[in-house]
Amino acid sequence: MYYPRRHLPLFLLTFILFVAHLYDATASTEKRSPQIQSKHASDMQKGMRLFKETIRPLLQTHCHTCHNEDSKSAHFDVSTYDRFVTGSKTLLKLPTSLLMQRLYHKKIPSIAHKLSVIPKPTMARIIEWIRLGSPFDRPLVPNTSIVKELSAPENKGVHPFWSFRPLDPKAVPPLLDSPWSQNDIDRFILVPLEKIGISPNPPADRHTLIRRATFDLWGLPPTPEQIHSFVENQDPLSYEQLVEQLLESSHYGERWARHWMDLVRFAESTGFEHDSDRPNAFHYRDFLIRAFNRDMPYDQFLTWQLAGDELPSNRPDPLIATGFLGCGVFPTQLTESEFESARYDEIDDMITTIGVAFLGLSIGCARCHDHKYDPISTHEYYRFASCFTTTIRSELDLILPPSGELHKVQISSEGLPPIKHPADGRGYPHFYPQTHFLIRGDVSQKKGIAYPGFLKVLMRDGKQSDHWTQSPPPNWTRTAFHRTSLAKWLTDTESGAGHLVARVIVNRLWQHHFGRGIVTTPNDFGSQGARPTHPLLLDWLAQQLIHYNWRLKPIHKLIMLSNTYRQSSGFDQIRESKDPENRFFWRRTPRRLEAEAIRDAMLLVSGLMDKTMYGSGTLDPSMLRRSIYFTVKRSELIPMMKIFDWPEHLVSIGSRTITTTAPQALVFMNHPEGRRLCRNFEQRLPKETVTAIHQGYLHALGRPPTQSEVASTEFFLSQQTTLYRTLQQSDPDTLARIDFCQALMSMNAFIYID
Amino acid sequence: MKQSLPFFPINRRQWLKQAGCGLGITALTSLLQDHHFLVPRVSASDTETSRSEHPLAVQSQQFQARAKHIIWIFINGGPSQVDTWDHKPALSRWHGKSIQEFDSGFKNTTGFFKNSVGTLMQSPFSFSPRGQSGKMVSSIFPQLGSHVDKMAFIHSGFTESNNHSPALFMMNSGLPRMGFPCLGSWVTYGLGSENQNLPAFVVMSDPKGRGLPKGYAGNWSAGFLPSVYQGTHLQPTGIPIPHLIPSGKASDATQKNYLDLIRKLNHGLHENNPEESELTARMESFELAYRMQSAAPESLDIDSEPAHIHRLYGLDNSQCDHFGRQCLMARRLVERGVRFVQIYSGGSDNQHSWDGHSDIAGNHQQFAGETDQPVAGLIHDLDQRGLLDQTLIVWCGEFGRLPVAQTGEKLGRDHNPHCFSAWLAGGSIKGGVTYGCSDEIGFRASENPVHINDLHATILHLLGIDHKRLTYRYNGREFRLTDVAGKVLHPILA
Repeated sequence: MYYPRRHLPLFLLTFILFVAHLYDATASTEKRSPQIQSKHASDMQKGMRLFKETIRPLLQTHCHTCHNEDSKSAHFDVSTYDRFVTGSKTLLKLPTSLLMQRLYHKKIPSIAHKLSVIPKPTMARIIEWIRLGSPFDRPLVPNTSIVKELSAPENKGVHPFWSFRPLDPKAVPPLLDSPWSQNDIDRFILVPLEKIGISPNPPADRHTLIRRATFDLWGLPPTPEQIHSFVENQDPLSYEQLVEQLLESSHYGERWARHWMDLVRFAESTGFEHDSDRPNAFHYRDFLIRAFNRDMPYDQFLTWQLAGDELPSNRPDPLIATGFLGCGVFPTQLTESEFESARYDEIDDMITTIGVAFLGLSIGCARCHDHKYDPISTHEYYRFASCFTTTIRSELDLILPPSGELHKVQISSEGLPPIKHPADGRGYPHFYPQTHFLIRGDVSQKKGIAYPGFLKVLMRDGKQSDHWTQSPPPNWTRTAFHRTSLAKWLTDTESGAGHLVARVIVNRLWQHHFGRGIVTTPNDFGSQGARPTHPLLLDWLAQQLIHYNWRLKPIHKLIMLSNTYRQSSGFDQIRESKDPENRFFWRRTPRRLEAEAIRDAMLLVSGLMDKTMYGSGTLDPSMLRRSIYFTVKRSELIPMMKIFDWPEHLVSIGSRTITTTAPQALVFMNHPEGRRLCRNFEQRLPKETVTAIHQGYLHALGRPPTQSEVASTEFFLSQQTTLYRTLQQSDPDTLARIDFCQALMSMNAFIYID
Repeated sequence: MKQSLPFFPINRRQWLKQAGCGLGITALTSLLQDHHFLVPRVSASDTETSRSEHPLAVQSQQFQARAKHIIWIFINGGPSQVDTWDHKPALSRWHGKSIQEFDSGFKNTTGFFKNSVGTLMQSPFSFSPRGQSGKMVSSIFPQLGSHVDKMAFIHSGFTESNNHSPALFMMNSGLPRMGFPCLGSWVTYGLGSENQNLPAFVVMSDPKGRGLPKGYAGNWSAGFLPSVYQGTHLQPTGIPIPHLIPSGKASDATQKNYLDLIRKLNHGLHENNPEESELTARMESFELAYRMQSAAPESLDIDSEPAHIHRLYGLDNSQCDHFGRQCLMARRLVERGVRFVQIYSGGSDNQHSWDGHSDIAGNHQQFAGETDQPVAGLIHDLDQRGLLDQTLIVWCGEFGRLPVAQTGEKLGRDHNPHCFSAWLAGGSIKGGVTYGCSDEIGFRASENPVHINDLHATILHLLGIDHKRLTYRYNGREFRLTDVAGKVLHPILA
């Protein structure tokens, strides 16, 4: 039946509203209704304040002496919330609260019958406290044994949520015969495309292909020579050779280490008020570059970063890798009352980063309450945190290759002297011997000692945390091996978290090759994250990773040799109408380069790039090395990098936001550094105008100009030269050519890669 | 990547095509918004990979509100409530007594220096009733005192940290840690900017070489919001915004020629692709940048103001001319549509800011003297231009100070997280009212305590934003400036 809206009968409207209301009410308990939740939170906050200030002292002085755990006068015990309310649902329910009735002496046995009357303001406060939900911050007696253990979710066989499940054994490439498909990835991509009835694009031309591949793997544009040799090479294997060459170059590590640095909030200063330097933290960046270039297996890469200091090895890299744990912010100015909470914050920073970077899970959410959306309890949070109880930043003198010189290196470990802290003189302990379960994350509300443990939702086959426990070798006492155990669990694909770890990393590789992950929320594989667009492909890639012994380069190669990767960005309205967001990968979506790649491309094209690798960085914006060698000082982020959406390096960033702003344009227009690079670029170009235009295009945009582009540029050059001449500038010709170079770097095609 | 427009039958690209050429993207965006085709950014939940093509386009308020701009006078270092706006006659009675007598629960670690806790100390300043409302005002604010009937006072603010940088982060971002977006970023994210030729969110810090507030740029950080929403920090000395001046030998004509060439060469690269609008937006950003080269210096050109305006802001007074210039710039910026201006009074800490650990009398006399005339002039000037209604002025620091003396050669006051005072004026603030109060010595917020989430919720409300609906999705969670709390202080709203 169809009702035009304005004729909707009133009763029906009322009914709809009523049902909607009901739905809302259920939704608020099932899902999340911000309004109710926020009122609840603020009420509880207020009530808690009232409890701490007024109600607790009241209970303590007037009630608890008789109504306590031992005497339980009148079978009534106020020492804990649970006992307080036991046996009476209406005790704390307004308006008929039994407590109030008894306090008012309206019901027998009345409370406080020895008092003739309870002062009105006191009664008002008690009523207000009940109205606010009668929160209790902690039992009236310390260290009470009766607090109920927070229960963790049960460990039930197969989890209903996709990312917690083991890798799907059915994730095998579909049998499909298509001339388009180059490898297994293409078969996974073709099936859903065929389902919605659209076909993918043919491969891009060779100029586009080499530019795409080189930026993807190196973060640099290909040189005219590289372009020439690839474009002219007719060998059908030449593309595969190109990919292999790119993967073998050390530029690869300089590109992909930088992606990793975003994930681990890497910086070389403490943040907060002083933002003091961590002058020996850069070695971790160098480790990352080496690790990517050597194609270190990812499980090992992870293990070293968590527990490289516990390996039986004298090599420096495993130690340096632990720099991962210590790159978060930490205040240098601490008051005594902040010592302990700052330590919990520090551990939180470590495990939150581990959660999102390795597992794609927001473990940090469970610090104050059980995770609202994912099966992670506060209990598990503190057990996880407990793995890091004694882990602190230290500095070691290590002999580093290739120079063989002694260098001070920042690492994270246990049982070594901590890096100095300004509060040392005031008794700052750096760590506490134990991690406690905290109620609402509050260090004044401890509830027993938390021992190391992992997330139950990522344990299978009835295994418990102790299954992964690793013992230190005999005579080893300095560290507890909790972190080694944690790494063991994280990389265990059989019954630990390995399957999720593998999914998360292959998704990141896909993301940086296509601009978007198969899961579009790379740091969130939980229930609030996106679902994979191609779940079987994701699982197959994860299995391939494990099959290739966790090496990343074979996965890069698999991805890049697919036709899915090679296709052109060609656009088509009909197909677009069926998949406007290109979720099914029927075309290449052009992508804007990141800050580093933009700046590095400018340096390379200008011919001024200094390719020196490794070593301490600098804050000097005129540095000529690749951008990964900028020192990341949190209070002095390199302005040009920030303008192009450099992250703040405070928390893990899974994918950078991309903005288009006027200050970015000002960099291309007016930045003195940019102008300097263009002057050099101009000098590289031949004197003859048309060849100069041709070379300029090849350097900056990776392709020759079209005839009309040559014509436009020639026209521009002559006009600009005349203008400069009328302005009586010396060498107007060169000035015009520099402007042309600047225009090339300002073009969309310079920073958007097809 | 590409956000499709809900409730709109064809996609944006097609619509752009049909809408024809000549209409600038910005105009188009606002046109779309006017017709509710573009869902305001505040209610859209951006995915991690979403791309903002026009991140600063004006967004409509969620509900009608008068205030469109904010100028936050940040009283950096923590002003003492009992020496500024929170008159405590009882403190004279308690003078010289131990605070333990007043509150046996007082801990020596409340402030920063646990070994310098002196006895309770009355204000070194006299107070007198001002305005129609008769608000008692400290003698250090002779000029601001005449505006009390435009101000709503909060005397029951409290915060969570007794330490500068966490308290600064708390005041700016609602959390005492680094890494979260500040109010200015949330506001520009929520409302965009009314002037695309200028930065939307501008921060000014001490130009007298006394440093930055503790926590530095973390105080105007966009946190996990796109970095376009972070505050633009004007260089305290020299050229305020970098890269505004062409570095080569360019003239206006050569620059235009250069822009023409880019436009020509860019053309046709993605003729049919959905990226077209994104790339058009980029071309437009060059044109905006070109205009900004003249718009930004013009907006900050206070020399063009007449002499009586200079006097109004105290530019003829060497004690306060530096702050007066900043206040005058702030007025010129909001006049031109800038959304949020934050001016820090004072530099880092101790004698460089309102952080009066030693010699509270001298310290507050000095910093009040640096700001009294300029801020009073700003209120007056905005009012006479009819801008006060649209501009919310906030006067607030990161925490308050203790009613006890901090011992030393000259008596000071130490940090106090339990109580601070603030005032708001302009927008639809009810003038001459006071919300909440502290206990009789100004030690703790006692009646209607105001959490920073409440203050933020109120400020957002004044700008037409429901703090519960201004959210951003980050790492699996919808984040808010006010986290899971915050209530609007309705009694101070007109």
